[in-house]
Amino acid sequence: MNLRKFLLVRSGQIVVTFWIILTLLFVLFRLAPSDPLSVVADSLMSEEEIQILKAQFGLDEPLHRQYLLYLWNFIRGEFGTSFHYRQPVVEILGDRLPKTALLFTTATVLYALAGISMGKILAWYRGSLLDSGMSFLGLLTHTFFLPWLALLLIWVFGYKLGWFPLSGMISPEIWLDPESSLLAKFMDVLHHMALPMGVLFLTHFGGYMLVMRTTMLETLREDYILTARAKGLPEKVIRNRHAAPNASLPVVTSLGLSLAFSINGGALTETIFSWPGLGRELVASVAHGDYPLAQAAFLFIAAFVLVANLVVDVIYAYLDPRIRY
Amino acid sequence: MASSRDRGKEKPLGGGAHFLRHLGENWAIYRKNRMGMGGLGLLVLFGLMALASFVPPLLDPMYHPMNGMDPEIDTSTGPSARHLLGTDFMGRDILSQLLTGARVALLIGVSAAFMAVAIGTMVGMVAGYFGGIVDTLLMRLADIVMVLPGLLVILILSSVAGQLSIWNLVLIIALLKWAGVSRIIRSQTLSLKVRPYVEAARVAGASHTRIMFRHMLPNVLPLSFLYMTFGVTSAILIEASLSFLGFGDPSTVSWGMMLQWVWKTGHMFKAPYWLLPPGICISLITLAFYLIGRAMDEVLNPRLRKEVLEQ
Repeated sequence: MNLRKFLLVRSGQIVVTFWIILTLLFVLFRLAPSDPLSVVADSLMSEEEIQILKAQFGLDEPLHRQYLLYLWNFIRGEFGTSFHYRQPVVEILGDRLPKTALLFTTATVLYALAGISMGKILAWYRGSLLDSGMSFLGLLTHTFFLPWLALLLIWVFGYKLGWFPLSGMISPEIWLDPESSLLAKFMDVLHHMALPMGVLFLTHFGGYMLVMRTTMLETLREDYILTARAKGLPEKVIRNRHAAPNASLPVVTSLGLSLAFSINGGALTETIFSWPGLGRELVASVAHGDYPLAQAAFLFIAAFVLVANLVVDVIYAYLDPRIRY
Repeated sequence: MASSRDRGKEKPLGGGAHFLRHLGENWAIYRKNRMGMGGLGLLVLFGLMALASFVPPLLDPMYHPMNGMDPEIDTSTGPSARHLLGTDFMGRDILSQLLTGARVALLIGVSAAFMAVAIGTMVGMVAGYFGGIVDTLLMRLADIVMVLPGLLVILILSSVAGQLSIWNLVLIIALLKWAGVSRIIRSQTLSLKVRPYVEAARVAGASHTRIMFRHMLPNVLPLSFLYMTFGVTSAILIEASLSFLGFGDPSTVSWGMMLQWVWKTGHMFKAPYWLLPPGICISLITLAFYLIGRAMDEVLNPRLRKEVLEQ
């Protein structure tokens, strides 16, 4: 199987998985003890608005028709109106998605790369002070409870030292000022991003470093490493070109497996730092009883996870030439 | 990561009695693991905290973690002789809350992990033993469950069902966490299925249930037990996160909830005596189960043990 065919098959699986999640969500919301109308209509809406919604979601029709309409609405991108914002759900989420992607993707790339390179170095200098010190540190940060670490960092670096803003994504005074340059705006976002990214980095980095260290130690015992040594290759080439790529394969697998876990962490981080992303929106909408928004935010995140898993698979195939699906 | 793949290659164990007989031997190996013993020590400490949680309310009703209030204090105060760790925003004793938190965390962690592992072991054995379409369907289901972000699923559920009680939460965590275990148990079952003693049992006319429960289950149980230690941590973390976001069971107090109170009542910059203890406890209990799991991994996986000795 070539890569294109592999991508097609995996995309097909993703569509099926997503359809199952959609269906489960439908069953869940219709089985709810509350009146089905309350799932799409707010008590503050007028009788007329409620009638329109009823027709839109087919609430006066039999269940199977409702289900088909639900799927059709999903395909059209019709998620209803948020009770809280009084605005189409799809507009809200379209605004939040890039902000989550920015924070989450940057953090993931950073901690994965840093974890892999650090683990590689620790395995190379095993038994040294650097090795034991960093392993201990990695274990320590790995076990930190994420919200607590976030509060501590806000307290120390935001409040006591005043180096970083306490929350949010932008400073309005910079963004509303027509004078400010693009660079200033960019630096402002970066400034706001530092602490939430630090939290995600610290809580995830250690795990990847420790896994990479273990697999690298295993790889260094392989015969082909001995061969490379016997050929008289420089140590740096053996480490970076012969051992590290193979050793990082299990790390990429664990990147995919722990994605769901990282998404939980992302939602917590966004909530604590008031980062205007999907995760915070989901938490807030559940607290507000804003069903249309909660449901759609969850589906967006589920889609995000599935696509990210596919990306991990592609990276794996790229790193391991033996795998040509 | 690699260790779980290689576990299938281990030498066959000869049934549950065998495992029990070797428990002493395993303990001797475990005891040599300093990190593992450290983890166990921490766990004993948390166990003692959980037991001690019954004491303060007996001493004086004002020490009750949820509705005990000091008649003289109605705001958050620092540590004193009367309240060793201080009081929260309503004048409730923080130490007493912390002790109760240990009880709640252990209760939720152990029961959710036990249920998750029980489900995962059953599913994994059935999938591996019967193979074919049963296997495909169960493992596809496991794949779907595995990619779901558990915390967010629970949030959605609580938006529909309202406030979740502790026991509902335990059940939901179990239903979200069985998938990883089932994959491991399935691959173990696949290798057990072709062993001579299973063949012999089949020829002797043993039923499917008998083969699975009498002959295969004892051999996968050590693995299940190992994964339970990892499951406990993730269950504790999910409950703590959920409570931190304000969706915990309001009839009890947990460490996550204590952190939420510090945060939401705006005390995080002025009450370190209140912010630090619950976070330290959650982090340490995570560490405890992580260390225990790693040490058990070495006991059950001789290859790993050799590597550690080599270093």
